[in-house]
Amino acid sequence: MIRRARLGLRLLARDWRAGELHILIAALVIAVGAVTAVGFFNERVSRGMAQQSADMLGADLLVLGSQPADPAWVGEAVARGLRHAEGIEFASVAVRGEALQLASVRAVTDRYPVRGAVRTAERLYGEDAPTPGVPARGTVWVEPRLMHALALAIGDRIEIGEAQFVVARVVTYEPGRSGNFFALAPRVLMNRDDVDATRVIQPGSRVTYGNAFAGPEPVIAAYRAWIAPRLAAHFQLIDARDGNRTIARALERVERYIGLTSLLAVVLAGVAIAMAARRYSARHYDMSALLRSFGASQRDIVWLYAPQLLVLGLVGGLLGCALGWAGQWAIYGLMHDFFPVRLPAPGARAAIVGLITGFVTLAGFALPPVLRLKRVPPLRVLRRELVPLPASAWLVYGAAATAILALLWYYTGSARLTASVLLGGLAGAVALGAVALFLLYASRRLRGHVGVAWRFGFNNLWRRAQASVGQILAFGFALMAMALIALVRTDLLSSWQQQLPADTPNHFAFNILSDDVARIERFFADRSIRSQALYPMVRGRLTAIDGVAVTQAVTKEEGRNDEALRRELNLTWAAELPSDNKIVSGAWFTRQTPAGMVSVEEKLAKKLGIGEGARLTFSMGGATLEARVASIRSVQWDSFHPNFYMIFSPGTLDDYAATYLTSFHLTPAQKPQLTELVRSFPAVTVLELDLVLKQVRTILAQVTLAVEFVLVFVLAAGLAVLYAALQASLDERYYEGALMRALGASRRQLRSAQVAEFAALGLLAGLLAAGATEAIAYLVYARLFELEYHFKWLVWLIVPLAGMLLIGFAGYVGTRRVVSRSPLSVLREL
Amino acid sequence: MSKLLNGHIISASNLSKRVTSTEGTLDILSGVTLEIKTGESVAIVGVSGSGKSTLLGLLAGLDAPTAGEVVLAGERLNDLDEDGRARVRAGKVGFVFQSFQLLPGLTALENVMLPIELAGLPDPEAGARDLLARVGLGERLTHYPRQLSGGEQQRVAIARAFATHPAILFADEPTGNLDTVTGTRIIDLLFDLNQERQTTLVLVTHDEQLASRCARRVHLDAGRVVEVNP
Repeated sequence: MIRRARLGLRLLARDWRAGELHILIAALVIAVGAVTAVGFFNERVSRGMAQQSADMLGADLLVLGSQPADPAWVGEAVARGLRHAEGIEFASVAVRGEALQLASVRAVTDRYPVRGAVRTAERLYGEDAPTPGVPARGTVWVEPRLMHALALAIGDRIEIGEAQFVVARVVTYEPGRSGNFFALAPRVLMNRDDVDATRVIQPGSRVTYGNAFAGPEPVIAAYRAWIAPRLAAHFQLIDARDGNRTIARALERVERYIGLTSLLAVVLAGVAIAMAARRYSARHYDMSALLRSFGASQRDIVWLYAPQLLVLGLVGGLLGCALGWAGQWAIYGLMHDFFPVRLPAPGARAAIVGLITGFVTLAGFALPPVLRLKRVPPLRVLRRELVPLPASAWLVYGAAATAILALLWYYTGSARLTASVLLGGLAGAVALGAVALFLLYASRRLRGHVGVAWRFGFNNLWRRAQASVGQILAFGFALMAMALIALVRTDLLSSWQQQLPADTPNHFAFNILSDDVARIERFFADRSIRSQALYPMVRGRLTAIDGVAVTQAVTKEEGRNDEALRRELNLTWAAELPSDNKIVSGAWFTRQTPAGMVSVEEKLAKKLGIGEGARLTFSMGGATLEARVASIRSVQWDSFHPNFYMIFSPGTLDDYAATYLTSFHLTPAQKPQLTELVRSFPAVTVLELDLVLKQVRTILAQVTLAVEFVLVFVLAAGLAVLYAALQASLDERYYEGALMRALGASRRQLRSAQVAEFAALGLLAGLLAAGATEAIAYLVYARLFELEYHFKWLVWLIVPLAGMLLIGFAGYVGTRRVVSRSPLSVLREL
Repeated sequence: MSKLLNGHIISASNLSKRVTSTEGTLDILSGVTLEIKTGESVAIVGVSGSGKSTLLGLLAGLDAPTAGEVVLAGERLNDLDEDGRARVRAGKVGFVFQSFQLLPGLTALENVMLPIELAGLPDPEAGARDLLARVGLGERLTHYPRQLSGGEQQRVAIARAFATHPAILFADEPTGNLDTVTGTRIIDLLFDLNQERQTTLVLVTHDEQLASRCARRVHLDAGRVVEVNP
């Protein structure tokens, strides 16, 4: 057997020299290259993006609780080599002379923040910069709002509790602030060691103890797994993804997109490999027949070709890895400005996954046609028309399905998704095959109405109906994959753009007194500042559902632990449904709706088991309010508009004192007007989100580039299919072309017939692809990307047209040699 | 070759081959009985479609008969499956074909080395070089089939057929694709080598001149043996 294998490898070397393997290896290199580049990319860029999210949160992992953390938890983290910082957050009044302002104090230890950086300026509205370290003992860093409220300057003293502090810097940005826009009071940052001196924290005080951890990803994951079961209900575990919804959703979607893309790239390359392997196999029928006539057994043939595949897999895999590596560096070069810090070089994991994917793809798609070689009848040496019995359909489709199954499972990590994609794919392939055959049949009818070249083209397609259906399917699949990926890309990007349009509100204003509402509206109008509606806001706690206390009424664990039950909610009323909200069930209030009705946010309703018609009881500053649920609403939390869990019908909250809030957009040129606003309305609290928004935009910009990058690989894999499919029929075309020319056909006639044939093939494949794209996009949008899908009529125009042009052109280029080689040399070879 | 029947290296009795197609069944061969002695040269002749190539395929074990039996080099082929028949062929049988059947991706030398390598014989390259020199192509070792003329290609094929020192050589219309002059040279070469190596030669032809060089001629007509000369 070793001897056979060695002979096989020698034959492989000869085949390589003779150029027999180029297509197979090219398809394999593209497959592995796509997977590896996507893998490398995934590893590096998503790590980079996660890092940025962590920078925004200020930690990789955050443990928050109303009690101090168990020192053993910190000990364990330090023992595992994680960086750690501690923070204590509490509300306290900052005093300067006669002036008072409620402040949100955060007292931090040395290494705070363990991720990202606090940005500060040396004076109000001065140039800010990342600032390492924490406030020295006896000093505080404060937000501009506090400076305004207390008319502070740098160097002034303020009192917090029983201690005095010197204001040392102005805080402009602080990690971990973005997730909690409603932390109303302006920030005071102090040293952890000064907390005791303030004597603010007494038994029963509302204090949040935070422990931030950072370190290498696997260590964090292991630590997370270690600590999660040890946390009592009043502790909360937050990671970078929980920190910011916009980023989390973008990250989630981009990961799904990458997963889908690499999967399509692999399957596409698999199709290319299958086609190339078929051709390779067909071109080795003679060799096998000859070897069989020389006395080689079926096993000998297997031993001859199996090692060839192994070596091909290795060579193609390594070349593919190199390509993936290079591609990944190229894109890193393009994008490195977007990364906050230098990313670590990609690990070997992507390369190993790439290699394994290469072998699995080869085994699934190339092994069956190559194994067919052992079935070549030896009598073929005398009768060349004999071809091996087709391999069992079970073997061919079984192997491919197994390969796809394995890859799908690996890439999606979901058995259900894998099974549904696979079954859907199989049913789809059968249905599409039937449609392709029908299209082919329909195209025959066209013959009488088109020119001679087209007639010849359609005729050729019909004559090789079986091969044509295969090609239409392959081209159709490639076009569909490309169209789908391009479509998802466009819609993802535009959904991100819509999510954060240029005039996204970048400031929030709270605590607007009802007397000031009209004045502040005028203030915005006079200065052409774009603002959202002003919403009244009353604080209240949800205490009972249908008369049963929420702690008993809510059975779900996640519901019981929900923030909404543990703190006061911001309650509002409105006559108009906010623009980014949608009614999911029930109906929005009308003029006739009486007071005492409420609309509840969808996810909260689900968690607490609240349905339409439920009776909710709220406790508001000692008073009790009852309301009936009129509707359930979806809310776009990441729109930077004021949004609420509970919106009451007008009139319901009239008896309660309300303040108003709104959000507005300031351009950089309008920014100085912020000072004017704060001066005109001293009671108003303004929250600046422009830096946060800028960071979100940076991440989305990276994600956009990333999405465009992976698209290139699907395109490459699609082109590989195109190339392999063209090559597959090349031998027959050479022969027919030579015969036709020998019979007197001109080159021009032949060429136009060929172009027409490919263009017709492209057109039919494009029509098929357009239908498949609509159907699959519909599913993918809803299931994977939570995007709304609209019928894309442009797909029906562009895809068939693109298919016709692309495949027609590729056919022209790919088969140029058919008409350029001398008929004699072709006929002599065959 | 230990179990040769009465010195016959090939023995066929009552061979029939019937094929079924959409247009009904067709008897390509019926009741052919034939015995060939070791070292004998036999020409199977007949018009196109008379079943010559089918008979050759059955005798060489490339195909299985519908009825009757073949004993090749002492082995009853009927008892064997395709792999078993291949084992019998290995190293004992050589072929020369009308269309040469050289592998286009391999050089002349590599084409001749192939069966030697497959049989696991020592030093395939030296053996192949010697044979190619013997057929007058010592200078064309690295040429690919497409760079050789028809006659040269057939000489490579003959060198390849003798490469494993087979006991039997089957030739299917070896001059069918060649002009008369070249054909004659090829026949000379084939018979010279056959003589040198004491090979049993079974060839299929409709070329009377070629057939006349064989010790015996078997005439086929519509799948039946109609005459055996002498």
